[in-house]
Amino acid sequence: MRSVSVIGIGETKIGRFPDKSLRELLLAAGSKAIDDAGIGREEVEALFMSNYNAQSFSGQGHLGPLTAEVLGLGNIPTLRVEGACASGSLAFRQGLHAVATGLYDVVLVGGVEKMTHQSTEAVTAGLAGASDIYLEAGLGATFPSIFAMIANRYFHEFGNVRHEMALCAVQNHENALLNPDAQLQKRITVEQVKNGVSIASPFTIYDCSLVSDGSAFVVLAATDVAKDVCRKRLVEVVGCGQAGDTLTLGSKRSLTTFDATVLAAKQAYVMAGIRPSQIDLAEVHDCFTITQIINSEDLGFFAKGTGAYALAEGKTALHGEIPINVSGGLKAKGHPIGATGLCQIYEIVTQLRGEGGARQLKKADIGLTHNIGGTAATCVVSIFRGR
Amino acid sequence: MEKRGTIYTYSIVQNGSEAFKEKTPYVLAVVEVNRRKKMARVEGYTEATDIRIGMSVTFLGEDERGNPIYTFV
Repeated sequence: MRSVSVIGIGETKIGRFPDKSLRELLLAAGSKAIDDAGIGREEVEALFMSNYNAQSFSGQGHLGPLTAEVLGLGNIPTLRVEGACASGSLAFRQGLHAVATGLYDVVLVGGVEKMTHQSTEAVTAGLAGASDIYLEAGLGATFPSIFAMIANRYFHEFGNVRHEMALCAVQNHENALLNPDAQLQKRITVEQVKNGVSIASPFTIYDCSLVSDGSAFVVLAATDVAKDVCRKRLVEVVGCGQAGDTLTLGSKRSLTTFDATVLAAKQAYVMAGIRPSQIDLAEVHDCFTITQIINSEDLGFFAKGTGAYALAEGKTALHGEIPINVSGGLKAKGHPIGATGLCQIYEIVTQLRGEGGARQLKKADIGLTHNIGGTAATCVVSIFRGR
Repeated sequence: MEKRGTIYTYSIVQNGSEAFKEKTPYVLAVVEVNRRKKMARVEGYTEATDIRIGMSVTFLGEDERGNPIYTFV
């Protein structure tokens, strides 16, 4: 397998853009990534396109050719990838393999989602399709209620971390204040989180990630080729792992350890030859506050049952021991489902290049992205190193 | 058929699925029966209900999809 590097990144601001079309979002983010790579459109050999549910949200399928047309990529092969909220990093992994195996030298990976033009009910129903529509959604389960059940079980096993969950939301909002691409640039307090509109106990609205529109792209190239092209710090993909789990909550071995995260992370760490303690920063899937806490443990940053307290001690804050979600995360930067995994990569590459502006970390040489789909049923973990 | 189950975890849903609006607030739970866990809805919740993990619930029947419905009684 050849070494592969990220040579270009681009994203739209994440937010509520009900009047912007899929085409407009794709054009904005895709063009930025290609321009950032400093290559011509004709150099892109294949497109791996991530989208969760444009078919239902906008009536639009066949995202591959749509994107290729919008970006003027000609007759290259395209593929649309879907793995619920992990779609973006799944598409990234397909692109990575296609270059690593020598099939292509340069590929484009993109993601898009457009949701805010739909009613909350339509969005909730569209998202519920990432759970079991009969055994879960059919009973009245929504994703907030599924992860709320995970939170209550976590409280039972490791103690009530309601306060620390609120701190997680506060911290991600704090980080988003420094990110111009973030959807919600609004400072919140622990009291606001705790007293927000109840969604499903113990969650209030502030424990939940956002409904967002947005698009993000990355250009991948064989590192040998990239060295000649890339004008910026080369960011090599040194590890990538993927694992799965059962679709339904009740059938999982554990509700408080995500096996897919543990296994995907293990593969990525082994491939990279890196230990969790060597990671300078991580973008960790925070669809809900408890999700970030559990994943921060399953990624090996903290021992099981201690993630919430580590967060409360400031270890995951912007200039903490292991900064998590300096972008603002799904909670405050936003969660444009099909683009989310690529938004995470966008942040890591930005930091590794030293282009983070007001939120730039002093030391950013090795970064990790962690992206799950559904009830942690699909997981991709990737590790990046600046050269 | 086992008539009793144990709440493995639960959530009181205050803003849930549109299809269940008339039932809101409603309780979802993962119910354990003979060490097998399955998602279920638990009927009969009121503000006075003291839900705890480990408490027993009684099997009421199945919904039209064959999903288990329990009651706190």
